[in-house]
Amino acid sequence: MSEDTAKGLTAEAEGASLGEAKWNAVKALEPRFPGVTGDCVSFEVLAEGDEGADLPARVRAEVDEAAYERIAGEIPETPADRVRAVVSRVVAALGLRASVDIEETSEEIRATVNGDDLGLLIGRHGATIDALQHLAMRAAFHSTAEHKAVVVDAAGYRERRAAALKRAADRAVDDALSFGRAVELEPMGPQERRIVHVYLRDRTDVQTHSEGDEPDRRLVVTPVKPGS
Amino acid sequence: MQDLVEYLARSLVDSPDEVSVESYEEDDGSMVYELSVAEDDVGKVIGRGGRTVNALRCVLRACAAKEGRRMLLDVVD
Repeated sequence: MSEDTAKGLTAEAEGASLGEAKWNAVKALEPRFPGVTGDCVSFEVLAEGDEGADLPARVRAEVDEAAYERIAGEIPETPADRVRAVVSRVVAALGLRASVDIEETSEEIRATVNGDDLGLLIGRHGATIDALQHLAMRAAFHSTAEHKAVVVDAAGYRERRAAALKRAADRAVDDALSFGRAVELEPMGPQERRIVHVYLRDRTDVQTHSEGDEPDRRLVVTPVKPGS
Repeated sequence: MQDLVEYLARSLVDSPDEVSVESYEEDDGSMVYELSVAEDDVGKVIGRGGRTVNALRCVLRACAAKEGRRMLLDVVD
């Protein structure tokens, strides 16, 4: 093992094209060098590959430590890059081997963390990932008038959580209707309460509202005609 | 860990150059981080109802727990 490999400065990766192989190699370095970009990496082409012949390209990427140190302390300019920087630093500090993918639309910036064992990132009842999402949002937009939703997701966590919230909402509706009284859900954050409000919005037999103060604010499901 | 506290704080403020973090270890082994920022940025790191500083604490606590440590974060004036 060479000295560079021992220090974890290099990574090898394959891809259908040379560009994809380079991208994958940078991704492989990301857990060790949060926020690393192609700008502070040099590439050695191990195999050119041939897409027509289905031969993958293969590269070795090596981090230029001095160049990385220069960019690592910097706070990026654009909101999407700031979200990426905050999320990838926390992912690295948690010791996770995971990549961070950013998608930006006109309405939201979504950071998706992909990897194994993301329980530490999610935290109890999603407390850690929700806190990280709040920090990412504040970091993205603290000094601009521009504003978009910021979502931090971990390998399908938000989708699973939304499904669980809808099941809890269904149970609350059943209880509210069968017992003819208001039913409180567990405390949840504003974005999760919104999922439940929207889910139950079109029902005519129950109404929803929220009570209490953050972080113990709860959504309450009330039957429209109690006891009937 | 101190680097992370500093980086996250610098991401949240208008004057990143005025962010500083001091740390010391309590007798019970927990780490205390004292964060100071420019006067105009105090509200930004604390957030409405303390939401931002609580989010910082939550994320940093998870990172510290990974190293088997407890941590406290204070914003000092």
